[in-house]
Amino acid sequence: MWLPVLGLVIGITLGLLTDMSVPHEYQNYLSIAVLAALDTLIGGIRAQLQNLFNEKIFVSGFFFNIILAASLAFLGVHLGVDLYLAAVFAFGVRLFQNIAVIRRILLTKWDQKRKNEKES
Amino acid sequence: MINTQRKKAGKKMKINRVILSLVFLVLGFMIAFSYQLTKKQQSDTSMTDHEWERTIQLRNDLIDLEEKNRQLQKELNEKQAKIIAIENEMAENEKNLSKTAKEAEKLRMILGKVKVQGEGVIVTLNDGNYNHEEGNVNNFIVHEHHVLKTVNELYISGAEAIAINGKRLKNNSYIVCDGPVITVDGEQFPAPFIISAIGDKDTLEKALTIQGGVKDQLVSDNIVFKLEKLDRIVMDPTLGNRAD
Repeated sequence: MWLPVLGLVIGITLGLLTDMSVPHEYQNYLSIAVLAALDTLIGGIRAQLQNLFNEKIFVSGFFFNIILAASLAFLGVHLGVDLYLAAVFAFGVRLFQNIAVIRRILLTKWDQKRKNEKES
Repeated sequence: MINTQRKKAGKKMKINRVILSLVFLVLGFMIAFSYQLTKKQQSDTSMTDHEWERTIQLRNDLIDLEEKNRQLQKELNEKQAKIIAIENEMAENEKNLSKTAKEAEKLRMILGKVKVQGEGVIVTLNDGNYNHEEGNVNNFIVHEHHVLKTVNELYISGAEAIAINGKRLKNNSYIVCDGPVITVDGEQFPAPFIISAIGDKDTLEKALTIQGGVKDQLVSDNIVFKLEKLDRIVMDPTLGNRAD
């Protein structure tokens, strides 16, 4: 379990240490990409809890969603339509849904655990 | 069989872990990077109302100062123009002054108040050799009118300064006959009379030696007339104001 945590720590350190500056107009893309990554991660956790986890779907979804969200925002900027809002909306809704599902699953598991303890 | 399956599962688990850590790495990087960027941007642009007010106030102050600066600059330019005018006037005055000084110098030279020098001629008039058989002794001595004639001729020919036996002549000098001697400005001089004149030496010489001129007249009056041309004659100024 420590390896992913180590990866996360290294990633955060790298991100904080990088003194690269992105042009102002590209910062939207980065935010969208972060949102997409978070969405995929939460989705992965939910799948894991529902025993539906597939690593190929997870990994491909992670990167593909990031790239897709960024390109959507890019397209939106060039078309003059705020398409990144669509990405934000979609990802946000899915994020909340996934979190809700995770919460429900965890609650049922907890309830069951307590019931089992009482019965025993 | 079960063992190998477990092994396989373990291997798969490991690969999973690696991939998951890679995903976390990317995620952490992106989140941290985004956070940093946003923070930087916020520190760049975010301003409170108070700051806005302060900015506006400072900007107004700046505008006021610039306006003031411009006004002062204008004033400065005006003052500078005035100074230039004054300086020009001063230069003009200076020029006039130097002109006046030069004129004063020239006038002083004419008045004999300063030492002068230059080329010129020296005329020596001496009494003739007196011969008893040839009549009156008066016909053989230099009279005051001879000296006067010579001096006048020299002045007419452009002499700038004249001295008789070292006595500078002034604008109000006088020469009178006083028996055997001649009085110039109250000082008596016997013959010979050395008249030195500063001026163009060739002109002066020609003026005196012209045919029928002063020289001929004097010589016919039995006077020994001698003329020297010199490149440099120095004349002392008149002493005191005795004759003024």
